[in-house]
This record gives sequence, C-alpha cells and structure tokens, in this order.
Amino acid sequence: MSVLISISQGPLSSERLLALHSASAAHAVGATVVFEGIVRANEQGRTIRALSYEAYEPMATNSLTQLANDILFKHALIAITVEHSRGEVAAGERSFRLTIDSAHRKEALAAMDEFIDRMKRDVPIWKTAIYI
Amino acid sequence: MTIRVLIFGALAREMSCKELVVDVCAPATVRDVNMSLAAKFPHKNTFFQSARLAVNHAFAMPDAPVQPTDEVALIELVGGG
Repeated sequence: MSVLISISQGPLSSERLLALHSASAAHAVGATVVFEGIVRANEQGRTIRALSYEAYEPMATNSLTQLANDILFKHALIAITVEHSRGEVAAGERSFRLTIDSAHRKEALAAMDEFIDRMKRDVPIWKTAIYI
Repeated sequence: MTIRVLIFGALAREMSCKELVVDVCAPATVRDVNMSLAAKFPHKNTFFQSARLAVNHAFAMPDAPVQPTDEVALIELVGGG
C-alpha cells in the first residue's frame, strides 16, 4: 500500500503521477478511479479567469498524507495519489487530481467521495476566484 | 508571553495581514489564544472564540498548551480541490 502527495505550482499537467511502483502491488489492482478538479469558468453568474490557491505548507502536506493513509486502511485500498495546485490556475485547467487504486470498484468509489469531503473540511488549502 | 497566529485566505485579506499577535499569560492553552484574539478583535469576537487553531502543523484541542516558540495557525473556511 502506498501514498504519494504532491502540491505544485500552477495547473496540473495531463500526465498523472503514480504512487504505485512495485509490480506486485500493480498486479493486485482491479480498479483505478481518477477524479480531476477543473476550474470552472463561471461561478454564481460571474465569469472567472482563474482560481488562486493558497496552501499552508507543510500542514497541508501532513494533513493530506494523514488523510490518505487513514482512507487507505479504512477502505483496504492499494494506493492513493494526491496532486494539488498552489498559485494561479486558469479556467479550464486542472487544479486537483485524486487517483485511487484498489482491488475492486466499490471501495475505490466510496473512498473517493470520503476523501474529497474530508479534504474540503480539514486540509488547509484556500482558493480565491479571480474574475474577468 | 506573545503568541503569533498565522492567518490565510479570506481572513488574511479582511485583516490586511498574514499574522495576528496576542499576549497571553503563561502557562497558556489554545483556548487562551482564542479568547485573546476575541478580546483584541471585538468585531469578530464570536468567530475568534471558536476558530480552529493548529499548533505546529496539527489541529489542537482547546486544552493543548501553547508556547511562544510554537507555530500557531488559524485554519478556517478551507476549500481546496
């Protein structure tokens, strides 16, 4: 079981990072669920140029690591990879990606929802809309 | 003793700074810091009384001790993703 956390400047690339490195772990995977958060161009009727993300590091990294390990054990997952942006991310670009590898679909989907809900409640990352 | 409290996001913009400074009597707890913030900024009294504080990068209970050398941060209204 493995966890990889990455907080990086600007939008995420289209290429996913992978927490899984060992062939034996990869062979146990029967489901990979990927969620990507994309900056919406509209919010409450106003046009957004970008979102600006502010992270309190290293608490954000610690919190994400703790949360990922907690979810990993609770749902008996194989791997969790978390990628989050800091700084400015333009509308249409990716700011968050959560990749969950598990033996079966059900636990990965349940873990996905729980992870995002808890992240939005407890992980010290803030976003501010930059309007046109 | 003096405690510095880091602030972020909308609160930092509203207060026009990145940290707040309060004086508390030693030995102090997280609750004492909350109460000092509430007393110093009466226009946000209710908010500061119950605001979540982290000490050295982890959320802290109200009874947790606080030292001037600790890194204290106010973590409210997060919303990444």
